[in-house]
Amino acid sequence: MTAGPALEVKNLSIKFGDFTAVDDVSFTVRRGEIFGFLGANGAGKTTTIRMLCGLLIPSSGSALVGGLGFADGGKGIKKIVGYMSQKFTLYNDLTVGENLDFAAGLRKLAPRYACARRRELFELIGFDRPLNTMVASLPGGVKQELALAAAMLHDPEIVFLDEPTSGVAPASRARFWALIRKVTELGKTVIVTTHYMDEAEQCGRIALMRTGRLIALGSPDELKASAFPGPMAELDFNGPAPAAFLRELEKAPGLLELSPHGMRWHAAFRDADSMEAALPASVPRALIKPSLEDVFIRLVEGAGR
Amino acid sequence: MTGFDLHRAWSVARKEVMHILRDPFTLALALGLPVMLVTFFGYAIDFEVRDIKVAVADRDSGPAARRLKEIFSASGYFRLLETDGNPVEMLDSRRADAALFIEPGFSRDALAGRPARAQFVLDGSDNSKGAVMMGYLPGIQRAAALRLYGSEPAPAPLRLETRFLFNPELNSRWFMVPGLGAIIIGLLAILLTAMTVAREWENGSMELLLSTPVRPLEIIIGKLAPYGLLVLTGVFFVYLSARLVFGVPFLGSHLLFLLACLLFITAALSQGLFISVVTRQQQVAMQVGIISGLLPSMLLSGFIFPVESMPPFFQYFTMLLPPRWFIVAARGSFLKGAGAAELAVPLLALAGLSLLLLTLALKKFKTDLEP
Repeated sequence: MTAGPALEVKNLSIKFGDFTAVDDVSFTVRRGEIFGFLGANGAGKTTTIRMLCGLLIPSSGSALVGGLGFADGGKGIKKIVGYMSQKFTLYNDLTVGENLDFAAGLRKLAPRYACARRRELFELIGFDRPLNTMVASLPGGVKQELALAAAMLHDPEIVFLDEPTSGVAPASRARFWALIRKVTELGKTVIVTTHYMDEAEQCGRIALMRTGRLIALGSPDELKASAFPGPMAELDFNGPAPAAFLRELEKAPGLLELSPHGMRWHAAFRDADSMEAALPASVPRALIKPSLEDVFIRLVEGAGR
Repeated sequence: MTGFDLHRAWSVARKEVMHILRDPFTLALALGLPVMLVTFFGYAIDFEVRDIKVAVADRDSGPAARRLKEIFSASGYFRLLETDGNPVEMLDSRRADAALFIEPGFSRDALAGRPARAQFVLDGSDNSKGAVMMGYLPGIQRAAALRLYGSEPAPAPLRLETRFLFNPELNSRWFMVPGLGAIIIGLLAILLTAMTVAREWENGSMELLLSTPVRPLEIIIGKLAPYGLLVLTGVFFVYLSARLVFGVPFLGSHLLFLLACLLFITAALSQGLFISVVTRQQQVAMQVGIISGLLPSMLLSGFIFPVESMPPFFQYFTMLLPPRWFIVAARGSFLKGAGAAELAVPLLALAGLSLLLLTLALKKFKTDLEP
């Protein structure tokens, strides 16, 4: 493969009838990057990924996936990418070996090559059960790891993972993310969608999507810095916050964002001066670094404000 | 979509065989249905009526009356129930299917060589049974005349001689069993494909398949071929039991019959595929598959009810149904020894309908890849 970006997306849109599912999206992904899509359900993450896998043909705009476009209806793209869907991973009524043989058959891999790849990938994911284990009997996390192996059997340059950890136990989620990092260390590019903020933090860069549009793009730190240029305070009243005070605070001139986090409140300000003006000394507060969740609330949910 | 890769289609087919082998429901249905149908239609369902209960009011009690009753009993079709009361009451209460009245003087007249009369009353509320009983009476009448008068009844000036060609004994098994292939193909092929393809939609694996270089046609051929074979095996079982167990003759061409089977299977698989693309859910696909598969092949194909006795609208409507043409081809091949000339119309109709259904299903499948 020639050098150049893994993905080069320009003004990409797709319409289903009158509904614009993805609207004028542009971005570039470097090789070896972990690139995350973050957004609510229906924000267009999955549709974007499905276009970039060659499953859907864009209505307008262009996308080069590993240097290949859609001129051939996505056939070329399908050969060089691996896709793990959110809904389906492996056939439960088949064994591990049968599932992988099927994946190899669909991609016409030579048996010897498929076997060698299988061993490599088993080592990568740390799978040591017998090949004739029924998939139905595997724990969710292991099944997810095997699905990744099946998607990578043909040694794709770019791997698309659509919510790979939904419905998986927290410990398995952490294990899976360690695996994603290992995959990028092999030089692969990983595009991943997620709901989980802690997972998004582990991406090199994140694209934030809302109603089909890309509303922010950058590394987690860049997103935090651009969403919250000023300080953020966590207010802890050791109990319910006084309603009158919150009403006052909401009207404060320099306030960017006020949101509840459990019993505490996060208040972000334009600058230090406006914070001092809005928060009386009596209010117990601590300066904190904004989390991606704060960014998400500010950019995605609060965008209508 | 040019180019078809046998290797990829084979991979899909191999996977489908694994699914079938691991799914007890599919296996039981595919293997059990032909056996069940042959047992039902070959043994349990018999369109001949036997053991007809006849309430007898014998007010003559003479030797001739006794002989008449013997003839009824000896025919094997009737069981006589002597009654002192009113036999019609027994008809009312369904304790008897028919009543026989023998009036006083029957023996006197018969033994003197004069015309003697007896009355046979049938329950007309079950018209198919009634019609069958009517069919038995001329034989009884002839036998009775021979016993009582020593000769057959005088021939009427005009006589219609009836002879049944192809199935001289009007054996209902000969008629039913060859047609069973229509039910097996019509139900099994439609139901199983509708469900298996709907399953791939429902669980989201279809999307994963399509994210690989595999082509839609390869998926379809790979998924449907195993079911085509399975269903063909079922038809072969019916063929064997028809020939070996029920002694049904096969007078036509095996090649033409196989062609009819293959064409009808193609039509049925296409119909199943179409249902699965439209419904996308196993449960719905199963219901639609059963109704749209079983109803036409059971009721509108001529399998049980002759197409010729349907109202004109339905006679034309059935021309759109592949099972109707298959039944014509199957019965023609088994019983009539129909050749290429006789089977040209049903085979062409089957080919046309299969092509139509296949085109429809493929088109719908390809345009609907987007969920």
